[in-house]
Amino acid sequence: MSTATATRVLTDEMVAAIQAFFPRYPTKQAVTLPALHIVNQRLKYVPLQAVVEIAQLLELAPAQVQDTLSFYGLFPQDEPSGRTRAWVCRSISCALRGGEQILEHMCHQEQIHPGQTTADGALTLEFGECLGACEFAPCMLAGDTLYKDLTPESASAFLQDCRQKT
Amino acid sequence: MFQPVLLANVDKPNSHTLATYEAAGGYAAMKKVVNSMTPAATIELVKSSNLRGRGGAGFPTGLKWTFLPKDATKIYMCINADESEPGTFNNRILMEEDPHQILEGIIISCFATKSDTAYIYIRYEYPLCTQRIQAAVDECYAKGYLGKKILGSEFSLDIYLHRGAAAYICGEETGLIESLEGKRAWPRIKPPFPAVEGLFRKPTVVNNIETMCCVTQIAARGAEWFKSIGVPSDPKNPRDPGSYGPKLYCLSGHINKPGCYEAPLGITVRQLIDQYGGGVWKGRKAKAVVPGGISMGLMSGDELDTPLDFAGPGKVGCLGLGTAAVIVMDDQTSMVDVLHNCCRFFQHESCGQCTPCREGTAWSLAMLDRIRAGRGRLRDLDLLLEIGDSIGIIPGTTICGLSDGAAWPIKNAIRKFRGEFEEYIKRTNPTGYAEVEPVPALETNGHGGHHALPVINQSVAWGGNARPAFPGPVEGGKKL
Amino acid sequence: MGIVIVDGKEIEIGDQERLNGIQIARRAGAEVPHYCWHPGLSVVASCRMCLVETGTRNADTGVITMMPKLVPACQTPAKDGTVFVTSSDWVKRSRAQVEESLLIDHPIDCPICDKAGECLLQDYHFEHGQEKRRADLKPFTSRKRDMGDTVTLFVDRCVMCTRCVRFTREITGTSELMVINRGSHEEIDVFPGYPLDNKMSGNVVDLCPVGALGDKDFLYQQRVWFMKKHDNVCAGCSTGCSISIDQNQDNVYRLKPRENAKINGWWMCDEGRYGFKHVHAPQRLTEPRKRAGAGYANIEWSQIPTELMHDFSTAGRLGVAVSPLLTVEEAYQLCKWARQIDPNAVLALGYLPVIGRDEKYPSGFTIHAEKAPNRLGVENVIAHFGGEVAVWDEFVELAAQGKFQSAWITAGYPLPWIDEATAAKFAALKLLVVQDIFDSPLWQRAHYQLPAGTFAERAGSYVNFDQRLQSFRYAIRPPAGVWIEGQLFWHLLARRGLYNPRLLLSELATEIPYFAAATEDVPAIGVELKAKQLAAVN
Repeated sequence: MSTATATRVLTDEMVAAIQAFFPRYPTKQAVTLPALHIVNQRLKYVPLQAVVEIAQLLELAPAQVQDTLSFYGLFPQDEPSGRTRAWVCRSISCALRGGEQILEHMCHQEQIHPGQTTADGALTLEFGECLGACEFAPCMLAGDTLYKDLTPESASAFLQDCRQKT
Repeated sequence: MFQPVLLANVDKPNSHTLATYEAAGGYAAMKKVVNSMTPAATIELVKSSNLRGRGGAGFPTGLKWTFLPKDATKIYMCINADESEPGTFNNRILMEEDPHQILEGIIISCFATKSDTAYIYIRYEYPLCTQRIQAAVDECYAKGYLGKKILGSEFSLDIYLHRGAAAYICGEETGLIESLEGKRAWPRIKPPFPAVEGLFRKPTVVNNIETMCCVTQIAARGAEWFKSIGVPSDPKNPRDPGSYGPKLYCLSGHINKPGCYEAPLGITVRQLIDQYGGGVWKGRKAKAVVPGGISMGLMSGDELDTPLDFAGPGKVGCLGLGTAAVIVMDDQTSMVDVLHNCCRFFQHESCGQCTPCREGTAWSLAMLDRIRAGRGRLRDLDLLLEIGDSIGIIPGTTICGLSDGAAWPIKNAIRKFRGEFEEYIKRTNPTGYAEVEPVPALETNGHGGHHALPVINQSVAWGGNARPAFPGPVEGGKKL
Repeated sequence: MGIVIVDGKEIEIGDQERLNGIQIARRAGAEVPHYCWHPGLSVVASCRMCLVETGTRNADTGVITMMPKLVPACQTPAKDGTVFVTSSDWVKRSRAQVEESLLIDHPIDCPICDKAGECLLQDYHFEHGQEKRRADLKPFTSRKRDMGDTVTLFVDRCVMCTRCVRFTREITGTSELMVINRGSHEEIDVFPGYPLDNKMSGNVVDLCPVGALGDKDFLYQQRVWFMKKHDNVCAGCSTGCSISIDQNQDNVYRLKPRENAKINGWWMCDEGRYGFKHVHAPQRLTEPRKRAGAGYANIEWSQIPTELMHDFSTAGRLGVAVSPLLTVEEAYQLCKWARQIDPNAVLALGYLPVIGRDEKYPSGFTIHAEKAPNRLGVENVIAHFGGEVAVWDEFVELAAQGKFQSAWITAGYPLPWIDEATAAKFAALKLLVVQDIFDSPLWQRAHYQLPAGTFAERAGSYVNFDQRLQSFRYAIRPPAGVWIEGQLFWHLLARRGLYNPRLLLSELATEIPYFAAATEDVPAIGVELKAKQLAAVN
């Protein structure tokens, strides 16, 4: 165990944003998910240091926050996600219409495995379970944008766009 | 001809705004209820409509509300917008295109149940829904439809959005409650049921998005209107509340016109495919159909005349109507692949609390992985069926129904398509298919089984002894 | 009074009793296997090992209606008319399936696992599992993970019962342990940099039904089937937790809490749990010696009573310090002997170690600052014998002032307890007897150096902070033929036969009203001394 004190990663703005959720719930623990989202949106990951600081704000032990965090697949902890984070649906409706092939195509094109980030940090590519857009299968959620009826061509175009985004 | 009601607004320009909604008569029902009805009468109205929850279990909504303790000082309403059942997207459309219809239903339901706080638990994968619902909530506050003393009455209501974080189990009502409380979404043991002890240990109602829209329409059009649609209760079964009202059917898979269609409860699969979906794609035939999300199991191509009401799918060995998400598979689909996909989903989404589900879903995926890797054995089919027959709340071996959902595709796929599975195993493993002794497990990356690509399971925050780098404790970290 | 039917047997249940299916079945003689349920923790009903069939018997018609599904016995209350079936084929099949599931990923490394022999997974598999493995064969893995200074996690052995996690959340309130990940990837962990380091951490090892959590202190020290368990009482503080001492060939290997709803529940603190190292310390004193000229000469234990009687008869006024580590019976004998030697003897409570402050956990469990098991017992014995009763500091001053000329000081403290300055205050004494387990400045001044016993070697009774008296027998024999205090005093009083604490307790309980409740046999959970005294007053 290191005795050095680490530098804080939560900014005053993040702390204020987290605290703004307190009046909505009778317990502070209920703000766990909102707090994790706030940090993840800004830092694109939730490092362990942030977990400690969130725990402090919510008057919890770090293990309680980490317990909740690790249950969900959403919060990376090792390194920030790419500038774009995309989930390609692999559930049944998309799989029936080639969703897995799209994911494979994109992985091959970017030379990464699902869950990894491209070397230039432009894109983190993951699989997702049903994105709830089965009428547009195969589909992908990239950031807040839903990409519908993907084909290898449109997927390649998306990858091209990602690279250009800074 | 049946006229869509729940989807009546969705194609209008700016359908998600308050102006469009009110122009079509929106919030009149809410005003009528809040201004002129009592909570008891409102519950009675919903009860008399025989509305059954649209989330999957089909429990009568009005009845659920009556379970709330009469002397409760605080009642929470949770709206389950964690729509994650594969094939299901009706709630997404409602939230994106007609959020006010939902909010009106929530306000009426909270009035009925005397709840002053509602949380809408929206799955993370629905960013547009989150924006639209938040905008609609803001509009309602501005208009005085939410907040303190709504429309000058004694009724106050706050609605908060709570974003999920990509976990299917949060759609289970007590998993949702635990998740909302900031814990891992491990479903709670029942009793106590949420109506007695739910969110923050207070009486709680958990209702689905589409159910809220039905409440809006029942308040606007009356219980008799609602009961004029759908399938009446079975006179031979006194406990059957019937399948009344309009229903949103999601149609996806190998279909010409996938989409969300509103139809009276009781429409058959064939009618849905042919009349709404434009038939199976590429001129092919349907080999199998999922009746209501993959949890409900599979119908074979000869069972397409089954009515999609609450009782129908059960008659052909499926679990139930579920979310009424119909997924069509054409005659060239490999049922081995379909079952593999289902097993992978449930292995990924099992919360891991109960042993039979945690281990059963993983074991069944491991077998399917091995079968697909050309090392299947006929015995695996019996083991799969044994798992399928033993996990779930129906046999009583788990806390929640997730594993019933995991069991049904296994049971239906193997029982209805056993020949195809046997043929596949014999063809791909001609020397070992008859083996009965345990074989070495497939070498995997340990994260999701065999896959064309080594898959890194996103749910693994850290595996083995490798952990994220941690600089050391900071000042003020809680240490008791 | 209600009737619960378990496997066809009618079992009575009191109106106020809140029992679950596991507990009522036990009353009926049926053991329902379970992992996650523990009477001291919340119910999660997640391991699904305790599934049984249940139903209700209609009070009017007597007709039994069974539920069409299995239910967890841990979560099902036993009420009047409840029916449990714990041994049907359905139940057995379900248990076999759960066992099979748990073993899919288990390394089955019993030959190198400390838990083997007391492992529920092992026992249940033997009793309820199926004969042959059907799941695929997996390569052996053995991942270890450090949980803190006291506990190691063998990750792959875990069955995810979450007892340990619940313990740190519900009992200590420290929440160091957590579950990470989801589904079949779940594991137990601590947050990096925040180890399991509460003062009750060792309990998670007891709670672990399998070999996942290992006690570093005990790890690989002894196979459990070689050890014998002895009921005992922790001497670490005035809480007086009921414990068992696990020993083999007079070697103590570990202490475990013993269930006692009146005192410690199911728990004990780490201080007590690991506080037995002094028993086998190499520095421990074992040779009785008498001053001879400038040095000391060894003497035989059997000669000591005679020599002491002779020396004390001419040594002037006697002062006796009775250590709060002695049992009630030992204190009684010592005081009785002192009064015989010198009716004016000063009787004092010996040195009382007090360290820090009482520490109370959310569950109510308290670690007391008073690091002695029997202050109340000793005080009440001394009070009975009256005369000039003092506490240790007064006793030291009386010695310095020359108020007595000879002294017998009992000690036996695991930690250093007396400094040179204090010891020097006994310099003027004509005769000083010190009984202790380790060397000390006082020991160096003694005319008689008599090795003392430790808690594991004692037999007798302690009275805890709450006036509950617990009796226990010795767990191991003292080293090198040492006569522990009780045995020596027995001989001083010229009693015949072997030291018999039970006989002494009956005697003193009749003689001293404070101990009246202990006249009869003392049950395993001890007796409450308060109630009987109140009754005596009324």
